[in-house]
This record gives sequence, C-alpha cells and structure tokens, in this order.
Amino acid sequence: MAGKVKWVTDMEKSVLINNFEKRGWVQVTENEDWNFYWMSVQTIRNVFSVETGYRLSDDQIVNHFPNHYELTRKDLMVKNIKRYRKELEKEGSPLAEKDESGKYLYLDFVPITYMLPADYNLFVEEFRKSPSSTWIMKPCGKAQGKGIFLINKLSQIKKWSRDSKTSSFVTQSTKEAYVISLYINNPLLIGGRKFDLRLYVLVSTYRPLRCYMYKLGFCRFCTVKYTPSTSELDNMFVHLTNVAIQKHGEDYNHIHGGKWTVSNLRLYLESTRGKEVTSRLFDEIHWIIVQSLKAVAVNASPSLTSSTANDRILKYNLINDTLNIAVPNGEIPDCKWNKSPPKEVLGNYEILYDEELAQGDGADRELRSRSGQSLGPKASRLRDAGRTVLTTWK
Amino acid sequence: MLQEESDLSLIIAQIVQKLKGSNLYAQLERQAWASLQRPEIKLESLKEDIKEFFKISGWEKKLQNAVYSELSVFPLPSHPAAPPEHLKEPLVYMRKAQRPVGEQKELLNKWNEMGTDEPDLSLFRPVYAPKDFLEVLINLRNPNYENGDSLSFRTHLGLIQVPLKVKDIPELKELFVELGLTTGQLGIDDSTQVPPELFENEHVRIGQKVLTEQDSAAAQQYIRQGSPTALRAELWALILNISSHPEDILYYEQLKTNVIQHDLLVDSLIYKDVKLTASNDDYYFVFEDYLYQVLLCFSRDTSVLSHFAYNSASPPKSYIRGKLGLEEYAVFYPPNGVIPFHGFSMYVAPLCFLYHEPSKLYQIFREMYVRFFFRLHSISSHPSGIVSLCLLFETLLQTYLPQLFYHLREIGAQPLRISFKWMVRAFSGYLATDQLLLLWDRILGYNSLEILAVLAAAVFAFRAVNLMEVTSLAAAEAVLADLSTLKVMPLLQIFLFATVT
Repeated sequence: MAGKVKWVTDMEKSVLINNFEKRGWVQVTENEDWNFYWMSVQTIRNVFSVETGYRLSDDQIVNHFPNHYELTRKDLMVKNIKRYRKELEKEGSPLAEKDESGKYLYLDFVPITYMLPADYNLFVEEFRKSPSSTWIMKPCGKAQGKGIFLINKLSQIKKWSRDSKTSSFVTQSTKEAYVISLYINNPLLIGGRKFDLRLYVLVSTYRPLRCYMYKLGFCRFCTVKYTPSTSELDNMFVHLTNVAIQKHGEDYNHIHGGKWTVSNLRLYLESTRGKEVTSRLFDEIHWIIVQSLKAVAVNASPSLTSSTANDRILKYNLINDTLNIAVPNGEIPDCKWNKSPPKEVLGNYEILYDEELAQGDGADRELRSRSGQSLGPKASRLRDAGRTVLTTWK
Repeated sequence: MLQEESDLSLIIAQIVQKLKGSNLYAQLERQAWASLQRPEIKLESLKEDIKEFFKISGWEKKLQNAVYSELSVFPLPSHPAAPPEHLKEPLVYMRKAQRPVGEQKELLNKWNEMGTDEPDLSLFRPVYAPKDFLEVLINLRNPNYENGDSLSFRTHLGLIQVPLKVKDIPELKELFVELGLTTGQLGIDDSTQVPPELFENEHVRIGQKVLTEQDSAAAQQYIRQGSPTALRAELWALILNISSHPEDILYYEQLKTNVIQHDLLVDSLIYKDVKLTASNDDYYFVFEDYLYQVLLCFSRDTSVLSHFAYNSASPPKSYIRGKLGLEEYAVFYPPNGVIPFHGFSMYVAPLCFLYHEPSKLYQIFREMYVRFFFRLHSISSHPSGIVSLCLLFETLLQTYLPQLFYHLREIGAQPLRISFKWMVRAFSGYLATDQLLLLWDRILGYNSLEILAVLAAAVFAFRAVNLMEVTSLAAAEAVLADLSTLKVMPLLQIFLFATVT
C-alpha cells in the first residue's frame, strides 16, 4: 500500500473535511495528482462534459457517476423509468406483467406524469378525464422544493400550452421545462401531518449493480396539519416537506427539525398497523429504489448542510461509512477493484442489492418472491451473525 | 394480597357492589333475559344453563376481566374508603367559565390543530416541577417514629427520611422472576443476533392466542416477558380492560364539548407544559395536537375523582368567592382533581405511538393514570408510591453499590437528586420510545412501579465507572444526561440477576 490517499474537494463542508483528515489523507489541489475528488454538481458537469471534460485515470474516484443527471433531472428520470418498463415488456420479462386494466403489477410506482411543454396536449386529454383532480408541477432541474406548485385548473398552466398566444413571443427553449404529475392527495398522515422519507443510497458500481442503503434514514414532517382542501393548495407548509421550505414556517423547531428516524416510523407503523403491512411497506420501498437504479436514477446533490446538531452527527457518520465502502482500507483506488467489501466495513449501511450475489442464485427468484409464492429458506430474511439482508427477493 | 377470610368476603362484597353499578352489569342482565329464548335454556335448570351460556358466549370472560381490573387497584384492606365525593360535586362554577359562542365555534374548527394557535403563555409558569416535589418529600418525617427503633434505618444516608419497608434484591428477584437469565425476553432475545426460532416466534404466537382468548389475567402474565410491537396496543387495552363501546366514545365527545364550551385556567398550564416538553422531544413532537385533546378533556373528567378513594391524597378544593370555609360552596378544581405539573404531558406522549383514535387514546391514558401514574406525584406509603420508590432506589444503591453511593454523597451529588425526575416521569422522554414501551410492558405485567426504582439503580450501576471519576453534581448530571442509547432489559437483568449480592 503505497502512500496516502490524496483528496480534493470544492465544497467547504466540515462533515467531509473532518472525515478526510481523520483518515490521515492528504489534501491536494485539483491540478495536482489526486485520488479522491468530492465534487459539487457544477464541477461534475465540467469533468464529464464533452468540451471541457477529461478522462479519469485508473486510480481516481469521484463521488458521482457521469450519468448522474439521468436521475437528478425529473424529466430524465421519468423518461428512464418509462423506457425501462417498455424494455422489460419487450423482453417478455415477468416483471413487466400488467393487470386487466393495463396497470403494471410490479412496476407501478410513478404516478401519471407528463413533460411540459412537450406533452401538453396529452396532459390536457388526461386532465379532462377527471377535471376535479389536483396535479403537482415541478421544475425539472431544481431541488429543495424550489418552484413547485399545485394546480387544479387548466388556466393555471396556460403558459406551457404549445398553442398559447404567448408562445409566439417566447421561444420554446426559454419556457422552463416542468414535469406535471397526478398529485397524491391522500398521503399517509402521522399526527395529522404529511411527511416524506429521506433515504441515503450508495451506488458503488453499476455493472454489476451494487448499492447500499443507509440504515439511519429519516422522515421530514410538515409543521402544519395536512388538508386536501382546495383553499389550501397554495400553502406550501401543508404540502411540501422539504426542510428548506418548512424551516421558514412559524412553528419550525430547531431542536428536532421536524424529523423522525426511520426506525421511529417503523415502530409507529408496526404498533398501529401491524407487522406484515409494515414489512411489506419497507420491502416495496426497497424494491422501488433498486428498480429505479436499474432504470438509472439517483439524486445528484443531497444536502450536506446540517440543520440541527443531530443532523450534523448523522451526516458525519454517513460520510464516514460511505468512504469506508468506496475506498476500503484507505487504499489508493484502482479501477480494477471488483470485490464486494467485507461486511465489517458496512457500518450503518446494509446491502440493498448486489447483482453478483443475486445472479449466483438465479434471477428467477426475483419474480417468485414478488408474487408471494413460497420461498426456499435462503431467500427469507437472513440473520447471520448480525448482518440482515434487506430484501426478501434477489 | 388477600389475607384473611373476613377480609376476602368484605372485598368480594365491595367489588360486587361496585360492579352492580356498572354498564357491564346492565349488559349481563340483558343477555340473561335474551338467552331465555334459546332452546338449551331449560326452566328446571335455569341457573346452570344461563351460567353455561355465559361461559360459551364469552360473557363470563368479560366479567372475569372486570373483576380482575377492580382487584388491581383495590386499596389495601386497612385503607379507609373515601366517600364518593364526586356525587356531591355541583360544578356550578363551570357555568361562569362559559366561552362566548364565537370562540366556541373557532375552537371546534381548530380542535385538530391546537398546537399552532395557543394563547399567550408568557405570564404562566408551571405550578410545580419535579424538583419542587422532591424538596417536599425530603422534608417528610414521621412524627411517631422514634430514633432508637431500626438500626439499619438510622444508617440510611439518603435523602428520604421516612422508614417505609422496601424490598432487597433477593425479594426483587422473587417478584421479577420472569426477568431471570433463563427466561426469554423481548428487549433481549429478539435482537438481530438471535434467530427468531429460539424465542421470538413462539412468544408472538402465544401473544396472539392470549388476544383471541381475551383473558386479562393471562395477558398480564404474558406481558412480563415483553410485548411484540404489533400486539402491544391490544394487549394493553386488554390488561387495562378498555374496550371502545359507543358509550365510551360518547363520554369522550361530551368531554370534548365541555372543552369547547368552557374555559379553565388550568388549560393554560397544559398548553405551557406541552410546549415546554413534548413539542421539543425528538419522538413526540409529531403528536402535539393529540396531547392537547387528551389533556384538556382529562382535566374536566370528574370520573377521575373516583381514584381518590384509594389515593391517600385528596383533590384540591376551592371555594366560591366570599364563601371560604363553607363546605357547601366547595368545589374541586380542576374538575378532575389533578393539577398538572411540569412534565405531566409526557405521561400521554408515548401512548400516541400505540393509539391514534382519540377516544381510545383518552381511555387508555385515563386508566393508566388512575392505576399507576397518580402514585408518582402523590404522597402515600404504598409500595408503588413515589416515596417508597425513592427509598427503594436509595437503599439499593447504598446496599449494593456502597462505594459509588458514598462517593456521590461526598461530592454533594445525592443520587436521588438525579434519578428523581426519571422516576416521576416513569422514564418518559429519557429513554428511546421502543425501550420505554418495553419498560411500561413490565409495569403493567407486574402491576407495580417498583421496576422504575430498580432501573434507576441499574443505570447508576451501568455508569458507575464514569461516575466514580466525577467531582461535582453538575459533572454527575452530565454523565447521566443522555439515556437515549440504553437498552432497558439487559440493564435490569444484569442488575438483578448477575450482580454479586
């Protein structure tokens, strides 16, 4: 093992820098010879862009895959999932099976979504089928809840209409791209409030697909009670859970930040709804994550800003475990590495999916467990020496 | 518990009297009449046939559960029964507190989200906090007690100076026998390291059977080994004998109406308490609005007054203005006789993890209060009363961890000053929720709060090494400030069964 890992970052975040320093890694600049570069999204774009990009050498690792925007941009993600489903259908894969009404049995996890302005007319057709429905508009390239709003009337999105009078003055390219989805207006509420899940998933390789889920994910609650009432459609404190939005609310609490750990959620659901329902819920969440990754989908820049003391500790540990998996034993990276890391380094990550391990057992297991047929002893939830495999299917 | 024959018949008579006034009695009567239509009921063997019918249809079980429920709060035979004061309670003063109609409508509309719009609380302070209560307990003396009496008590160096009888470890091991090293426990034997076939699966299966049988006593025995999360809500309801009949829901709705229509000063104390405690808690902040709903109704619930029959305390009285001292103008304030202290809302908060239907949540909390929690903030000689718990804690520490006890005393850090707040709150807000629920399982299972004192001592034992190194009360507090990572059952097991005594 020659020398220490040389690192660079263009993000002044203590949770990163403390982790690098505690490993005794050496900080260098980007013009020097580096092994590990934790890049901001802008830098990633430059490194992998056609004009300004450069090829990484065999001993260099970065924190995003070149195609990460396939997952971060909402329109690309939707396109990828739709394409993935069609591909499976063409192959005749049992995963793409549909029910009598044409709904996917196992891959129905995205609500009806259209691209605007491109699919405007298709959207209008769908909208007219159920005119009392609510839809949610999200800008393709933004994060942290910016620019999101709800509509229940066509007039509210006149701007995106292809035939609108405004389009003769405004060219297509300056009309910002949005996705519009059917709004799920009956979300699960706890304490009468809407919440979402923030889960951390690490993808170490795509081929074969190896991904890990951090056990300590969390839920983010709205500070205001949920109501589907149309008079509150533009109250973002009711509908959007992003901390960036909620922390401006009157009732935002800086001690707990309106967050719950996923294990709290699990305890609450098991206590009030029962174990089977809860286990199935988490199974399905994991399924969605793996399928999305397979369709190529991941968010580019999770916030590394910490909003509470607990948050800071969580993110420090998260980065710590991430680095342990990505750069095992602090060795200089080598692109020929292909082994699965030993279970001791996982820390608070659990194996979400390991394609190599899965293929060893035969891929048809995947479907058998999805349709609830009886499984052999190996496929049930394993508990060997402290490591729990998350999925009941492979 | 039941000592002599005459005591037994007296108790039976009292329970029969009590149950005759209950809803269950009316239902049994109706069922008995209706059963006359059935072919298997014969005139010549009427009594036996109806008894048999009750057995088969599950009504006998319901009666058993009700009797069992009465027994668990039955006062010790020598305790004088207080008169049912609430029958005389006119509550006329409530009419003076009536809210204007507009305000009523507004409150009804925001019943589900009171957390976002509370009154101005800046001028309110909690009536008292646990540390004030501790000062009162420290100053308790028994005027009949002669110093020359008990040698061992003379050497008691703790804060409590009342010589009540408390158990030692051998006696505790007998009481808590199911927590022993060779018995399976949830909270220990269900961790990911242990294959579920060894204990967990079978335990869950037994739990489901207990629920199907609807047997209160069996549930109480079962839960000593902990409750599976999915069964806990039902098991607790069974042990506390809570079922949601329409009349219970109606009662709750009436209390709610009372809240909407009348304003009470104690409401502000409740708002303040919730805002200061539960709203800042990592686990319970989500349920803020439920807490208001439960506590505001609770303070108006006069049926709570009935627990004063076995509580040696009395409900606080107030007098209509100008009529001080005249009994016919005395009223109970608040109507339920309970003044909430700082941290009171934490008794309700963990229950929100189990029950999300307001009237059920309310009933469970009320029953938990009149069976257990009231003992934690009223003065009595009961073994589960806070005075006994404090003494038990101090005695355990002084007897089995003498070095630690003396050291802490030397540096001015009497252990009770730190552990008191844990016990008064039954550890709510100090332990992680899943651990707290495992602890409360055992409170229900053993029908005793002594386990709180044992746990408090076990925590000190666990952190003894660090505590021996501190040199001030503040430093000792710091060592014991964060209990959120503790695993309750291993601590208890080691302290009771694996420590050399």
